[in-house]
Amino acid sequence: MNPVIEVASLRKNFKDRNGASRAVLRDLDLTVGAGEFLCILGPSGCGKSTLLNVLAGLDKVYEGQASVSGGRVGYLFQEPRLLPWLTAEGNLDFALTSCKVPASRWSELKSRYLAMTGLSDYRDYYPHQISGGMAQRLALVRALCVEPGVLLMDEPFSGLDEITARRIRSDLLTIWEETRKTIVFVTHNAYEACFLADRILVMSGGAFRQEMRVPIARPRSYDDPAIFQLSRDVIKAFGDEIGRDTVPSAIPASEPGLVDDLDRHAAARMNI
Amino acid sequence: MLKVLSMVAAVIVWGLVSLTLPPEIFPGPIETARTLWGEIAKGDLWTDLAMTMLRVVAGLLLALILGVPVGVLMGLNRRAEAVLDVWVMIGLTVPSLCYAIMAFMWFGLNEGAAIIAIAITAAPSITINIWEGVKNVDTRLVAMARVFEATRPAIVRRVLMPQIFPYVMASARFGLGIIWKITVLVELIGRPNGVGFKLFYWYQLADMKQVLAWTLLFTIIMLLIELCILKPIERRVFAWRPQVAV
Repeated sequence: MNPVIEVASLRKNFKDRNGASRAVLRDLDLTVGAGEFLCILGPSGCGKSTLLNVLAGLDKVYEGQASVSGGRVGYLFQEPRLLPWLTAEGNLDFALTSCKVPASRWSELKSRYLAMTGLSDYRDYYPHQISGGMAQRLALVRALCVEPGVLLMDEPFSGLDEITARRIRSDLLTIWEETRKTIVFVTHNAYEACFLADRILVMSGGAFRQEMRVPIARPRSYDDPAIFQLSRDVIKAFGDEIGRDTVPSAIPASEPGLVDDLDRHAAARMNI
Repeated sequence: MLKVLSMVAAVIVWGLVSLTLPPEIFPGPIETARTLWGEIAKGDLWTDLAMTMLRVVAGLLLALILGVPVGVLMGLNRRAEAVLDVWVMIGLTVPSLCYAIMAFMWFGLNEGAAIIAIAITAAPSITINIWEGVKNVDTRLVAMARVFEATRPAIVRRVLMPQIFPYVMASARFGLGIIWKITVLVELIGRPNGVGFKLFYWYQLADMKQVLAWTLLFTIIMLLIELCILKPIERRVFAWRPQVAV
């Protein structure tokens, strides 16, 4: 596998309110191969979004190297971030125009990805007229239809209810198996990471703590006991360390009902 | 429908109250309407109305030209905000009559002075609206556009302008409300025609029927502009917005 993303000794500091410098990213090294599905798992405030912003080119102030090859970068945010004054199709056209995708390819790309996400009948709807889950699907379509080589996803399903999130996760895997884009997916949900990823990197305090491969065969089923077992191991192995995270988290991580079929205690730990 | 009902009710109340007072002090709706019709039939009413409208439109345009850039600057630049903040407050506080008097004393009793006075009065409130609008711009959408490789001009045109535009509309409407009032005042002290001049003229003759007739005319014109021009524009431009049930 050719590396598509290469990061070496990546460091970034923020100045906090008292003027003291605080390390957000500490000497990160990362290689992601073409077509790989990587999950970065960590609590809020561990620096995972900052890392994605650097990879996406939104954040240009850092030390060390970070390069992304293999084509354009697609980005799926935690919220849909659709332009509310444009219809679903208008939002796609905005992305296609901005990325200078030749107009001759537009209708094929739009139809293809709208069909994959079940949104074909919603082209003329405004964002406020569709549900949160559909809006996030549309954002996924927008990210895909500019044909990125690399797709960066920042907790894209954490704001959705669990049933909707599950459905979209399964759709995402189907799409990924068809298109084999390189995906870097950031999450704080261990179960989600085990279901989706080829490889999981556990991050806390601005550094990668552990790496593990997910040996579960594809296509995967959401109810596979092996995924549950693995997610429990992930939490057992790294949960304590993450619990002792020295960096104060900016936003307390509390998302109810992420893992709905476990007892509450396990669910609380699962959702790091 | 409720709007129409409330207006009908107001006219009825007006009629009833006018019955208790002598017509020279408080004429009823029918008498006022008859007086207004008489003025319309005479024909020179249109000149006064046209002059007032001209001042209103020119004043609004100039106020937008002054107010919008300052508001944008204040929204974008902290230093500009710190410096101009107090001046906008002062601009809001000074009574419009002071602006009118100063404009006429400095620039003479002419049309330009009248329009400047009108624009200066309305500009600060326009600035405040735009300032607020620029500060409320959703920067997350800007980040989104940058991820999709949108160029700077494209971001301004397709992501920022649509967010600021509702505030420009709101401030134009709000500004218009102020401008109607100041225009009449300016005409009263420094112009030889217009609705304000006429009102003052009839005031000096103590003719309540005429005063009410001109007030009524002015109100009707204002409502027509609001309902037939501004509302439809707003409805068309903001069709994408969710309907808010109140």
